[in-house]
Amino acid sequence: MAANTITGDFNINAEVDVESIEASARKARMQGIKRLVRYTLLKLVALVFTVAVGVYITIVVANMGGAVDKIRLGTIRESVALAATADPAFKTMNSEQRVAYINSRVDLEIKRYGLDRPFLVRSFEYLWDGMTLNFGFSQQLVSDSGSRLVRNILLERLPSTLLLFGSANLILFFVALFAGLSLSRRYGSMADKVVLALAPTSAAPAWFYGLFLILIFAAMLKVLPFGGMVSAPPPDNPVDYLLSLLNHMILPMAAWLISAIFLTAYNWRTFFLIYSSEDYVEMAKAKGLSDRMIERRYILRPTLPNIITSFALLLITLWTGAIIFETVFNWPGIGQLYYRAIGAFDTPVIVANVVLYAYLLALTVFVLDFVYALVDPRVRVGDGGRK
Amino acid sequence: MSKKTWALVALLVLVGGILAACGGQTVVEVTRVVTETEVVEGEPEVVEVEVTSAPVEVEVTRVVEVEAVDPEETTRTGGWLDTIVIVREPDANAAVARLEAGDMHMYADDIAGEAATQAIASDNIQTRTQYGLFDELLFNIATCADETKFNPFSNMKINEAMNYAIDRDYVAQELYNGLAVPKYTTIAEASADRGRFAKEIRELEAKYAYNYDKAVETITAEMEGMGAEMVDGKWTYNGQPVTLIFLIRTEDTRLLIGGYIATQLENMGFTVERVERTSGELSPLWVSGDPTLCEWNLYTGAWSQTAIDRESNSSFEQYYTNRVLPWPLWALYAPPAELDEAAAKVFNADFASIDERNEVFRTALPLSMEYATRDWITSRTTVVPFRNEVSVTTDLAGGVSGAALWSKTIRFADEVGGAMNVGLPSVFTEPFNPFGGSNWVFDQMVIRGVGDLGIYSDPNTGLGILGRVERAELTVRDGYPMTSSSDWVTLSFEPEVVVPDDAWAGWDAENQVFLTAADVYTETQTALLKSTVYYPADMYQTVTWHDGSPISAADFVMAMITAFDLGDPASANYDEALVPTREQFLSAFKGVRIASVDPLVIETWTDAGSLDAENAVQTWWPAAAYDYSDAAWHNMAVMLRGDANGGFAFTPDKAAANEIEQANLVAGPSLEVLASELISATAESYIPYAPTLGQYVTAEDATARYNNLAEFARRYGHYYISTGPYFLSGVFPVEGQAVLTRYAAHPDLASRYAAFAAPAFPVTEIDGPARVTIGEEAAFDIFIDVFDGPYPVDDIQSVSYMVFGADGSMVADGTAEAVEDGVWQAVLPADVTGAMAEGSNRLDVVVVSKLVAIPGLSSYEFVTAP
Repeated sequence: MAANTITGDFNINAEVDVESIEASARKARMQGIKRLVRYTLLKLVALVFTVAVGVYITIVVANMGGAVDKIRLGTIRESVALAATADPAFKTMNSEQRVAYINSRVDLEIKRYGLDRPFLVRSFEYLWDGMTLNFGFSQQLVSDSGSRLVRNILLERLPSTLLLFGSANLILFFVALFAGLSLSRRYGSMADKVVLALAPTSAAPAWFYGLFLILIFAAMLKVLPFGGMVSAPPPDNPVDYLLSLLNHMILPMAAWLISAIFLTAYNWRTFFLIYSSEDYVEMAKAKGLSDRMIERRYILRPTLPNIITSFALLLITLWTGAIIFETVFNWPGIGQLYYRAIGAFDTPVIVANVVLYAYLLALTVFVLDFVYALVDPRVRVGDGGRK
Repeated sequence: MSKKTWALVALLVLVGGILAACGGQTVVEVTRVVTETEVVEGEPEVVEVEVTSAPVEVEVTRVVEVEAVDPEETTRTGGWLDTIVIVREPDANAAVARLEAGDMHMYADDIAGEAATQAIASDNIQTRTQYGLFDELLFNIATCADETKFNPFSNMKINEAMNYAIDRDYVAQELYNGLAVPKYTTIAEASADRGRFAKEIRELEAKYAYNYDKAVETITAEMEGMGAEMVDGKWTYNGQPVTLIFLIRTEDTRLLIGGYIATQLENMGFTVERVERTSGELSPLWVSGDPTLCEWNLYTGAWSQTAIDRESNSSFEQYYTNRVLPWPLWALYAPPAELDEAAAKVFNADFASIDERNEVFRTALPLSMEYATRDWITSRTTVVPFRNEVSVTTDLAGGVSGAALWSKTIRFADEVGGAMNVGLPSVFTEPFNPFGGSNWVFDQMVIRGVGDLGIYSDPNTGLGILGRVERAELTVRDGYPMTSSSDWVTLSFEPEVVVPDDAWAGWDAENQVFLTAADVYTETQTALLKSTVYYPADMYQTVTWHDGSPISAADFVMAMITAFDLGDPASANYDEALVPTREQFLSAFKGVRIASVDPLVIETWTDAGSLDAENAVQTWWPAAAYDYSDAAWHNMAVMLRGDANGGFAFTPDKAAANEIEQANLVAGPSLEVLASELISATAESYIPYAPTLGQYVTAEDATARYNNLAEFARRYGHYYISTGPYFLSGVFPVEGQAVLTRYAAHPDLASRYAAFAAPAFPVTEIDGPARVTIGEEAAFDIFIDVFDGPYPVDDIQSVSYMVFGADGSMVADGTAEAVEDGVWQAVLPADVTGAMAEGSNRLDVVVVSKLVAIPGLSSYEFVTAP
């Protein structure tokens, strides 16, 4: 048996069983891994279950517990009959032929929408398809290019949403973050007071400012476009296209920033103020460390989990777009699409949108747990476990 | 913020922009190396197809110089403009702001409400009015199955009396802010019958004018007769309040109309439960629900009209009988025998003459007011706004988007060329394909914009006018009340119209050959009419598809084949959803024969008639023959291959059943399928339905056409070709834009349809004595203007007048006499004035023009005294 002598202030010449220690360490590691795996699995199961419950509730709500079937049936009967009566050829039919024609059309539509099967059965099919990311085909909506694949419907709108809201939110996030940090160091300054005074302007939504900006810069000054993504017709040169795109982003991004920048900066400033008054910050000040070093090491570091959480949630909220905002700026984003899907009771599109968001949210929550552990040494898995 | 952060943000924006920029272009997998610079002109050449994956170049004319010329002397062919850019703008208010700022030249939707008011008030915008939507108060006429429930509207006299309780002028002027006109009868405003029966309608308007006290009196009497009692100012039945469940639509002004009528009913003593919901939420009740359950009593309905109605044949049949709509409420409709018979006669055009039809109408109109399944309220007027410098044709019912001639006339006034931005609420709403494609009016506007027709519909009268057809002959069975008012149609009558044995009357889908009448019928068939259309002798040389392929007889034959084939279970392209369409086609069709291939002459035997010979002509033009869009035989061939091979389906029903995409000629996943099929078709020199179409197409023709299509797709990124004055040169679905470029090879002068640029509404004014002596003749001058000059007498169909006494009853009527262009005179003879009572009177004049369906109305007040 190998033995080592450990020299220390408290126990000189104490002999230690290294193998035993290593075994203990291995055991502890294994226990830690087991704990981690168990935690991970439980967390995953809980998250998937939560997502499934959330999605199923969405399916039931979006279909009004099956009442949408009645609405759709009524709408089908109405629209088929009206379309038939508007057709000149319909007038050449006799009474029996007319009724047969309309009924056969109605039957086809009932079959197409799956209304010949109970809603309960279909609701679980929607759930299964959604959870397995088999989004299939829409019921009514088509993508801008005419595809009925839900995947295409979403993917066509996603880039424009990510572009606009990604740009606007990233700028907002970092500007507000650093402005908040700066203001927290200048508590009571003129800038601080100005931000404090302007914070209530965020009570108005971005589209509200958008209307004013459009009125001023598009309608009156005629220096920026009313809306849309690019000029008409779209430039065929990619560089010109990009410039046109950026030109069309100026007003919506400005509206987005104006509506949120002061309140967000104020929030961060208040948040950082709490950390700025911690004892260790005062100690750092007393040591004569520079402001920059204090900000980085003593304020930003302990607030990283909050900042990362805010940033991660910000990234996934980009997926949802903004219905009214996109409408005001005629921006072909996913928010408008979602609104249309709800209005048309297009369950596959609604489910796909919700499932994607739910999975992203679950994944973010899941990953954030580990990120917290990485950036904050105080975080442990389980009670007294390893990082 | 650090430089790194800024750099990161900038990079993200840049990458996003590039991604979006790339995403905005359509990519198809067909290309060809050519040196041509102008695809739309010159003879198509035969070249090999090279399969590569290259992005499509979309070439668009953006800025174009304009030149001022006299439009009457133009030699320009195709459209007036160089480019039309159709942009998506869903918000009407934003559209008006953009029009005002010059960012948009026309908004092609029919707008109402605040946006319309702003447009009308603008100095920079002109508006054109349409009549396309009618409001009604629909009654549940059922007797409740539950005897404890009471439905007053099972009593037609109450429903009729409700006419008096609705102040239609108030609804039109106050609730619609003037963007509606009162409507009393079933006849649509934008219809030929509105002019034919203007006098009768005016009489009914006077009879059913707002008279609240009369409504209360009649309803009270009827309610008491039905066993109801008025207790403390409230109607009760069996001791319970009579509660009316009023379904009120919330999406538009019907919310206000419903509120107004509900208040009127409450004032009469009814208890009203207002159920304010949207269309989808209410249709299960009034469309599908059992009316005898009395789950509702009233509904604020509305009906739409998408094009000017030449014959209001379904006016009575659809709204007062159970023979058209298979809905539970309609099943209860049991009109009086006289109305029932008249409705059927009108619907089936069962007359010996127009005069007989007119008499039937005159009988049915007042009866339909008495058998009041509904009370008509208003005919909404919407406006199409466009800038002052724009000139364009609009349809009286369908606006710009519903006018087939819109792209043939749109221009900058007194200028040639230029680029115009046109707004639409939606662009590329659904897939484009000929059998199951988009029927959205906005998509159809694009389709019409790049298309052509054999015969167009006059946007002001609904009468057929010449398109590509040169002339036509109609032979009609004796006794059918058809007339012709155009010199391009020759109308004749015969005792019997026999379908010849060699006419194509059916289709053998397995062997892909037509069946003749002799094959299909055991006995000699007769038809209502035979239509013979003559196309121009030089059509094959002058008319080309947008890919440069000259039109040919095969394009027409393809339309005939597909009318039979796709709904046939034996077809490789069988589509269950197209069976009803096929059945509908066969219900009137009797036979077709190509009498001559060059020049093209087509004879058709059918039971589908019309009062106007112009509207009964069967053209088989390859656009009109398909339901939803144009198609040449060769791009149809590629589509048929894609459908047969499971790459996509024409209809959403078949696409959903097979879990495949719906065919789309302009964008999306279908383009890859089309590209692939085009390559195969080219390699095989494929001729679809070869046993039949092969008689009209050679392998060389086929190859040449496929090559032209491939080149077109390479240039413009899609497969949608037509024969109109513009072609679809840019498809930008995500950006919501469609670019139409002038097709210089179009054979027609840009000025061909200039006469239809604006409707010639008669503007009428009356002048005459303010005081008429009883027993003496009185003459009134009627001044009729059009635009800025007098209305030619030859263009006026009739000028009739009616005189109403102080009590609203008609005391005299007659027709005015023409004095000169723009001046007519109505004379009240001495014996007429002698019979009039002392007091105030009103002279109403109705002017019916031959050029526009909506009559001119004018009134003049005068007093009679001894």
